[in-house]
Amino acid sequence: MGGARYPEEKLAYGMLSPMLAFVVLFIIIPVLGTFWISLHRDVTFIPGFKFVGLDNYINVLSKREFWYSLFVTVSFSLVSVGLETILGLAFALILNERMKGRGILRAIVLIPWAVPTIISARTWELMYNYSYGLFNWILNSIGLGGVNWLGSPLSAFFAVVFADVWKTTPFMTLLLLAGLQAIPGDTYEAAIIDGANMFQRFRHVTLPLLRPVLIVAVTLRTIDALRVFDVIYVLTGGGPGGATMSLSMLAFNYYNLGDYGVGSAISIITFLTVLSFTVVYLKVGRFQEGLK
Amino acid sequence: MNEKFLKKALLIIGAALMVLVCLFPFVWMIIISFTKDATFLGSPYVRFEFTLDNYRTVLSDPTLHFLDYFRNSIVIATIVTITTVMTSALGAYAVSRINFRGRLVVPIFVLGVSMFPQISLVGYLFKFIEKLGWINTYKALFFPYVAWTLPLALWMLLSYFSQLPKDLDEAAMIDGASRIQTLYKVILPLSAPALFSTALLVFIAAFNEFMFALLFTTDYRARTVPVGIALFQGVHGEVPWGNIMAASAISTIPLVILALIFQRYIVSGLTAGAIKGE
Repeated sequence: MGGARYPEEKLAYGMLSPMLAFVVLFIIIPVLGTFWISLHRDVTFIPGFKFVGLDNYINVLSKREFWYSLFVTVSFSLVSVGLETILGLAFALILNERMKGRGILRAIVLIPWAVPTIISARTWELMYNYSYGLFNWILNSIGLGGVNWLGSPLSAFFAVVFADVWKTTPFMTLLLLAGLQAIPGDTYEAAIIDGANMFQRFRHVTLPLLRPVLIVAVTLRTIDALRVFDVIYVLTGGGPGGATMSLSMLAFNYYNLGDYGVGSAISIITFLTVLSFTVVYLKVGRFQEGLK
Repeated sequence: MNEKFLKKALLIIGAALMVLVCLFPFVWMIIISFTKDATFLGSPYVRFEFTLDNYRTVLSDPTLHFLDYFRNSIVIATIVTITTVMTSALGAYAVSRINFRGRLVVPIFVLGVSMFPQISLVGYLFKFIEKLGWINTYKALFFPYVAWTLPLALWMLLSYFSQLPKDLDEAAMIDGASRIQTLYKVILPLSAPALFSTALLVFIAAFNEFMFALLFTTDYRARTVPVGIALFQGVHGEVPWGNIMAASAISTIPLVILALIFQRYIVSGLTAGAIKGE
């Protein structure tokens, strides 16, 4: 029987049980619970918790607000991860070069990562301030006039994107740097002998060999960007006019209004969106093979 | 020759831009934290006038509760870190050393679960924690935080434990040590750097968390620094930016110093957590 094949199974399960207990009780059950709530009418100021089937979902899917929020969330993720990948790759290429002060540079790139998200968001909020923010001060002093950064839809969207890119680029940089360092030096030497210049080497050696890491990093960051909340909560609260309303922010607003049914339905849709990317991540990451 | 020069020029410009991009919001935070608040009023830009008033106010005004928030954050992050590292070390040891059904599934499951959006938990979790009467207690944050930080810790320790030769365990067990004894007498002492970097990342993640803390606390008893700073508003409309930036600087500088000192550990930890198999 199986017990004979794996004599220490009981011990292994015993050692795993505290970890699994935390994960099941505080992640799995809550997700299932939120799904349960999403099938009910659960509004704080209307008495009675009532099963309504998929009504909340139909309600959500028929709202323009939801589709707009989905569009905002996906655009945010694409633009944010796109910019972050370009910037992260540039930083990683710089840090991969042998040069003086590389140690200090590597430390400095970690600073945005170490600053708590809320704190960085508040600092950006101050820098975006119309009357006394850093950006308008710079624009004013070169005679361009101020921008109402958080006040108009397009600039608010990019204001949120920039704050997010600043905070998350170090992570991308570190992953890509690890990928670059795994590329053997003699591949470059061979390319140099073949007469490839700097840009050709980047295009035909670096990029193809970095591809697996690049795909994992982009998927991982996309999963993270799709659930963006903190930066938006501080900077715009989803406004103006829903221009920065991420799905998490929208669901949060419904919870805040006391409408748990609809809030939960939006949360579960967010969950399903992220879950599909998670499956891709676990597949491209080939995690199973790493365990063998 | 030409290419070498071009490359060097690109590198220097790139490095300078990188430093500027990474540093400026942080530096701006520090500058404003030392700037007199009054200069914001009716001014088209900040006129820098050095003062320590912001720090004094934040550290001494009991109505702001900053020290309460700070203490809550430190205490919660510390107990979460200890619990998470101990729990994940047990789990990582089992997965890396013991053959059992589900050995390949458990870590993938835990990793997959960590990708769920926080918002998909809070609908139910809020009601659950409210029902237990845990609002405004450390418990309300402790349990979700441990669950939330476990996957990263498990993967970091797993990638480290897998590199340690299995002969070590066998030798210890021939000498009569049990699995548990082998773990804490042989494997854990050898894993000090990995345990340390895991602890550091878990601590920073717990210190940073916002959504749970925002929902599960309503006053200074368990409210953490991020929530305190996010909800920090002036009494009369005007936002006290100097105070906010001083509170931000006090909370951020220890983390930045930790990150700078232990950057090597953090880099290896983050990459091990995200991309397996180095």
